[in-house]
Amino acid sequence: MRRRARLALFPALAAALLAASCFSPERAPEPASPESAAGLADLLGGEDSRGFARALAPRPFRFPRDHGAHPRYRSEWWYLTGNLETGGGRRFGYQLTLFRQGLRPGTPARASAWATRQIYMGHLALTDTRARRFHFFQRFARGAAGLAGARTEPLRIWLEDWSLESDDPERLWTLRAREPGGIALELELRPAKPVVLQGENGLSRKSAAPGNATYYYSLPRLRTRGRIRVGDEHFAVNGLSWLDREWGTSALAKDQAGWDWFALQLDDGTELMLYHLRRRQGGIDPFSAGTFILPDGRHRSLGARDFRIEILDYWDSPRGGRYPSGWRLRIHTLGLDLQVRPILRDQELDTIVRYWEGAVDVEGTRRGRPLGGRGYAELTGYAGG
Amino acid sequence: MVSPLIRLCSRRSLVRHPWQLGLTVLGVTLGVAMVVAVDLANRSAERAFALSREGISGRATHQILGGPRGLDENLYTRLRIELGLRQSAPVVEGYGRVNGETVQLVGVDPLAEAPFRGRLQAVTDLPVERLLTEAGTVLMSARTAGRLGIAVDGRFRFLAGGREYSLTLIGLIPEDRLRPAARDGVLITDIATAQETLHLTGRLSWVDLVLPPGAAGEVRLQHLRQWLPPGTEIVPAAARTHAMARMSTAFHINLSAMGLLALVVGMFLIFNSVSFSVVRRRQLLGTLRVLGLTRAELFRMILREAVLVGALGTVLGLLAGLALGQGLVHLVTRTINDLYYVLTVRQMLLGPAPFIKGALLGLGATVLSALGPAWEASRTAPRSGLQRSQLEQRSHAAAPRLAWLGIILISLALLGLWLSGEGLVPGFITLFLLIIGMTLVSPQLVALISRHGAARLRGRRHIQARLALRGVEASLSRTGVAVAALMLAVAATVGVGIMIASFRSTVALWLEATLRSDIYITVPGAAGAAARPELDPAILEQVRALPGVAAVASGRSLRVESREGLTEVFALDRPAAYPPRYPLKQGRPGTVWPRFQRGEGVLVSEALAFRRQLGPGDHVELRTDRGRRRFPIIGVYYDYGSGPGTVLMARRLYQRYWQDRGIDSLGVQLAQGAEREQVMDMIRKQVKSEQALVVRSAGDIRRDSLEIFDRTFTITRVLRLLAVGVAFIGILNALIALQLERARELGVLRALGLTPGQLRGLVLAQTGFMGALVGLLALPVGTVLALVLIHVINRRAFGWSMQTLLPAEIYLQSVVLAVAAALAAGLYPAWKMGRLRTAAALREE
Repeated sequence: MRRRARLALFPALAAALLAASCFSPERAPEPASPESAAGLADLLGGEDSRGFARALAPRPFRFPRDHGAHPRYRSEWWYLTGNLETGGGRRFGYQLTLFRQGLRPGTPARASAWATRQIYMGHLALTDTRARRFHFFQRFARGAAGLAGARTEPLRIWLEDWSLESDDPERLWTLRAREPGGIALELELRPAKPVVLQGENGLSRKSAAPGNATYYYSLPRLRTRGRIRVGDEHFAVNGLSWLDREWGTSALAKDQAGWDWFALQLDDGTELMLYHLRRRQGGIDPFSAGTFILPDGRHRSLGARDFRIEILDYWDSPRGGRYPSGWRLRIHTLGLDLQVRPILRDQELDTIVRYWEGAVDVEGTRRGRPLGGRGYAELTGYAGG
Repeated sequence: MVSPLIRLCSRRSLVRHPWQLGLTVLGVTLGVAMVVAVDLANRSAERAFALSREGISGRATHQILGGPRGLDENLYTRLRIELGLRQSAPVVEGYGRVNGETVQLVGVDPLAEAPFRGRLQAVTDLPVERLLTEAGTVLMSARTAGRLGIAVDGRFRFLAGGREYSLTLIGLIPEDRLRPAARDGVLITDIATAQETLHLTGRLSWVDLVLPPGAAGEVRLQHLRQWLPPGTEIVPAAARTHAMARMSTAFHINLSAMGLLALVVGMFLIFNSVSFSVVRRRQLLGTLRVLGLTRAELFRMILREAVLVGALGTVLGLLAGLALGQGLVHLVTRTINDLYYVLTVRQMLLGPAPFIKGALLGLGATVLSALGPAWEASRTAPRSGLQRSQLEQRSHAAAPRLAWLGIILISLALLGLWLSGEGLVPGFITLFLLIIGMTLVSPQLVALISRHGAARLRGRRHIQARLALRGVEASLSRTGVAVAALMLAVAATVGVGIMIASFRSTVALWLEATLRSDIYITVPGAAGAAARPELDPAILEQVRALPGVAAVASGRSLRVESREGLTEVFALDRPAAYPPRYPLKQGRPGTVWPRFQRGEGVLVSEALAFRRQLGPGDHVELRTDRGRRRFPIIGVYYDYGSGPGTVLMARRLYQRYWQDRGIDSLGVQLAQGAEREQVMDMIRKQVKSEQALVVRSAGDIRRDSLEIFDRTFTITRVLRLLAVGVAFIGILNALIALQLERARELGVLRALGLTPGQLRGLVLAQTGFMGALVGLLALPVGTVLALVLIHVINRRAFGWSMQTLLPAEIYLQSVVLAVAAALAAGLYPAWKMGRLRTAAALREE
């Protein structure tokens, strides 16, 4: 679901980074940011996916192996978001994303340990509600020479000193990320629910075209505790995180403009994931979808017709573009009526592709009874105006 | 209106004597051209170096350096992950040859380049994907690609370390508008390709860092220093560039001094020409004074003329200097490549400075030269201007005074030699004082010699000779200057000639004594001194096993960089039966070599000992793989093979402190009765190696070394020739003026019965006498110059001591040169005088 969005995001990012990242001081230069859908599609059109495997049919998932990399497929990511809180009630949101992109299929037979066809990109963000600050960072590295990579025994996915590792993925994961002079996170993540295979037993189709799909699973509820450093301040924090894993070799449909995506962890032990794919001509793509996960891990899929998303407010980015900034989500079949609000309006990542990814608060009712929650939203395709 | 009249006089006189005008302009032109050309070449080389370093290090403030083979690549990974040092980038760098040209291959990680914009700045549509995924893909500037004749997507051969690789040009790096040469001769590639192509798998040449300025950076630096393993060092990028640049400083100073010498000769020439243009017109000027021209007006007129001529000459000189500079840049670059470091920038870098300097010197020298004559002209009373004799009287009166001044300058110079310590620039100052002093003495010597010579030549038979000699003395105002100018140029020729000959014979003798092995094996190097590619160690065993080989020695040369600068180290492994025999400057061979072989200490080359004031009993500190170590010095040896100076140590000692098995040269000792050519042939045919090998006999090495030596002095020779050229023009100018203005005097002689042939003979005898005089004076002056060059300048510049060789042929050449130049200069006046019509000449009365 989110996959489509992110799958689209990564090749675009990869293409853009290849053109620009190497030569920009810290951030991407303006012209390299192909924020319009046309820009995205053009970049994607240029990508050559020949030689890479495609997600054609459901496959057996085996863990922990599948927590590692799948280099036969072009793109892959480990996407962590979470809401954290200190004992004193100070709120933080965080995002750590590690993307892998295969530039060419296969493994090179070369003497140098630096030779590789894999590159990694990382995005790290921290929302600090008390200080009303949003910190974000981006980095790249080749998947070689020990700089970045993903291995399974023991599980470790890393991009320099941003890493996600686990000796026992069913019980405990460790996240470490630090940025010199900026922020640092050291978190323990304990899965409270088993792996949820998204779509059709983990095969998430994007269109009728065969192979235009990804393999997709989530760990939707990870009990999280650890330490955060912001500048010189240290905080002990607790909260919930969400891990999305996806890989495939796909391209974005040409008529899609962007997406509004939600991953909400509700107080009654359920999770809701929803997304709208916005079409360029206006309106919502029929492939928009969602998943509702019960406390025991059982889940049901939602179609585009099952839910309605209503925009309650807008936020104008100082960097250009106008984003929705408050929603009402209604799902009749589940009796859900929720209001979703960002905990900070500016949670825009001005990275190689500009997008909004931020912590949100949820308030509303389920079958008439009050229900709260927290989560993350992702908004793309707005920055270009 | 007086002014138009003056202008008219001025213009007509210039137009009516085009040769005079032409020669004056030519004098200024040559002087300016020399200075501009030398300055351009010098600056180009220096800027090229700085630019190429900048181009490579980009915005890096510091660099982490390793041992002889660089750093372990894991260090970088640990730096990023353990220390989280994000402003860092790995570099793998080396040299190779493409289509006969030396190029620098720089491997970077494009994904780590962000803080180091310099290298890949503004590369749009950069094919990073191909760089990363395709082996052997490189980028270069359009200029470099054009010169090498490589098109985009074209494949080409790259030779490095005796191996051949196929590379593909996949994109062009745009020229940096501010520093167009920064990427000249540089190939940029992914670090993986660089490692594979330069045979440096697993290694990094260095790691670039950007540290914040001020206290924050200092804290980070301290932290880093503690963290870094022994054998590595962190150095400021600028200091590193500076240390490398410093190696060639002495060379550049020497070059500048040559340029200055040319200017001094040029100034004589200018002075000569301008004063003649005044003297020649003394009648006209006297008449103008009679007509009511004030002194100030006359003064201004002469100055204006000088400025005009100076400006014309300067403009032409700047253009000529530009053209000449192109050639010189090439020579300078080649010498730097031979002796110091690899310079891939081939083009001349134009800056305004050399031209401004040249223009100021040209105009300034002209005006300065004209001030005297202009003052002279304006000071004369209206009628006395018509009398030539007054001027000569003054000259005669001035000559002794000048001589005294000269003697004072010479004494000052000699005093300066004692007092100036070891500085190179003070050395040059005393040298120039000496030269000027000796030049100032020469007019008086001319007067004395010609007077006494004439006095000896009594009797009828010598009447013509006496006339000639007395004529030289009588026209001292011109002859003195002309002789001084030519003397200076010839003396410079003698001095530089002796210096080069002495140097060359010293080097030849040294090579003879030093080359211990019969056959030497190396890998074809990318460049001269700076890069010595490694030899596959397997070759050593193969050579040792060949029949006819008694023993094999091996050498490893490297440059150890540290905060303090750069030191060359040569690790030598000689078989016990054939100990090294470098000639020793300090230390007894009987004790030094056994101690050396046991690894009890190191030897330092004379240059290094001089530069750092080291001797036996002192220690030299080197950065080893095990950290900094102090090595006791047991001797000082002669070495002319390296610019910056070398530390020589036994392989066994080297191995103790460096984890480096590499070798870069082998020396083969032939067994009794083995045929050298046969063994060389066997090595070429039977040794199996993926590397191309260079197999040379000791004689070949000697020849090659002397070839490099001669190449190094090509530029000196060229400059010397130019100085002689300038002086020749000077004497031609002077003599023509002198003879032409004596037309009336010669007319009288004709009227008295001298035949045209006798007149021609008189003129030629006079110039020939001046030539001989020049030769005579130039020999001692040149010898003194040579001694100063050898024992003061070269020693202070390079720390090399040389034997003094005084070759007779140089002296002979110089006398012949002087006389020939003078006679050649006398040909035209002689021809003209021979055709003199008595009546016309006398009509001037």
